Amino acid sequence: MIHLENVSKVYPNGTEALKNISIDIENGEFVFIVGSSGAGKSTFLKLLIHEEKATFGNIMVNGHNLMKIKKRRVPYLRRTMGIVFQDFRLIEKMNVYDNVAFAMRAVGTPEKDIKKRVKYVLGLVGLKGKEKRRPSELSGGEQQRVSLARALVNRPEMIIADEPTGNIDPERSFEIMKMLVEINNRGTTVIIVTHEHDLVQEFGGRIIRIDDGEIAEDRYVSTKYHKSALRIDEDTDSDDGEKLPIDDTAETAENQEQKEAVGK
Amino acid sequence: MKLSSMGYLIKEGFKNIWNNRMMSLASVVVLVSCLIITGAASLISLNVSTLISKIGDDNELTIYLEYGLSDIDSIKLGPEIKKIQNIESCTYYSREEAIKEYKKTLGNIYESMQGDGNPFGNAYKVQLKDLAKYKDTVKQIKQISGVETVSDRSDIASKLTKLNYFVTLVGSWVVLILGIVTLFIISNTIKMTMYSRRYEISIMKSVGATNAFVRIPFIIEAMMIGLISGLLASGVIIAIYNPVRDAASGVVRLIGNSTLSVEKIWLPTLLLMSGVGVLIGIVGGFISISKYLKKEGGEILG
Repeated sequence: MIHLENVSKVYPNGTEALKNISIDIENGEFVFIVGSSGAGKSTFLKLLIHEEKATFGNIMVNGHNLMKIKKRRVPYLRRTMGIVFQDFRLIEKMNVYDNVAFAMRAVGTPEKDIKKRVKYVLGLVGLKGKEKRRPSELSGGEQQRVSLARALVNRPEMIIADEPTGNIDPERSFEIMKMLVEINNRGTTVIIVTHEHDLVQEFGGRIIRIDDGEIAEDRYVSTKYHKSALRIDEDTDSDDGEKLPIDDTAETAENQEQKEAVGK
Repeated sequence: MKLSSMGYLIKEGFKNIWNNRMMSLASVVVLVSCLIITGAASLISLNVSTLISKIGDDNELTIYLEYGLSDIDSIKLGPEIKKIQNIESCTYYSREEAIKEYKKTLGNIYESMQGDGNPFGNAYKVQLKDLAKYKDTVKQIKQISGVETVSDRSDIASKLTKLNYFVTLVGSWVVLILGIVTLFIISNTIKMTMYSRRYEISIMKSVGATNAFVRIPFIIEAMMIGLISGLLASGVIIAIYNPVRDAASGVVRLIGNSTLSVEKIWLPTLLLMSGVGVLIGIVGGFISISKYLKKEGGEILG
């Protein structure tokens, strides 16, 4: 959950990027942050991930008070979120599997757990069988799916996507958006910063427009993906075939039970 | 830090060295040069100190008799010298023995100086009972007629003390300056590595890796560069130590017996230089990674 109260951000050069904004984003919401260049969208995201500290106000993100958070606690705040970058930020010398596994290794997950989880998440984003490929051997859409898998792999409470479709063609953009809706439908909060008006209108959900450092608009748009802003947990008409939970632990427990039953 | 991560991080550190092999090689070459100079300065200083303390401990004096004093007259002086209270023992050392010894160490230069051509006079080698009475004893010996001079080792000792002071002073500056240079080299290498891996660092930070986790592979890389350099530098020093010592002994005879042997210095040199290399690596790596993490490394979205 995100709670911003009278938050302002003034950069050392005097630029007032955010002006006294207050906003709440509940768990499980699907949110678009829109606005023109220089409106304050990036600063808003930077405050959420604590890359920047607010000059005034109060910020709570996933139970962490960001005005009082100690430096050594920041990594633990970031473990509650997954970030998707516009430029994918994939490491060319690593294959698809290692690019995703890297996020788990970085938080000290044992290798046997990594193996299981990465395989599962790659299946979730439709990259099964492409584990050994290098990023340059993939299309832009596929690269962004790897980036999405990496953001998901540590089971974050929230996905923050910074212009996730900015570097890919419209058709693939649509696929990525559908995937983000799917992830949201499984209970993960999704916050997307975008310029692409068409996608916002198509997918709907909560739309927050930032203009000149202020919240200029905060509304809900109902679409076939988000029929009611108040019922964000409702099933969607997503045409993806098999639906997999973001968390594979429940499934594993079920499999375990089945195996035990067979054993008996 | 979980134990399961350590293996991965160490592996990453080694990978870094290989991925930046040209830069790593350049760092090793510069570091080895710096460490050899530093090690050589330290060893020279140590050997001069050893030499001084050996000279100080040596209670043997040489009494040179007047040139031209006959052998019989020279031998007659023996009992007179022995009368002096502080003399423990007294051995006659003829001019023939002196020329023989010089020929042994310096070769044919003294070949023509046989018989009348011998430039040495007869001498006595005496052992003192109490080194503290050195000056008084020398005074008493000099009063005996027929005595030309007495070898005054305190003079050599004081010259060597001055030399040691100079070597230590210059050596300390060399160590200090080269220490800073090596730190700079190592931290620059690590800075380059970090720049080439900035994406990885920003991704690590975005998924919640702690600074310690981000730091470890770079520290290991710097440590390994330091260790390799330390081992190579100590190897070079140990290999050239004896030839250099022999060459120096040819010029100054004292050096041969009064300096440290390679058997005594190889292990401390190896351990110390490897240790210094590792330490420089850790400090240099730590400085640059901490600086980076504070500035560019803190950026995730950019």
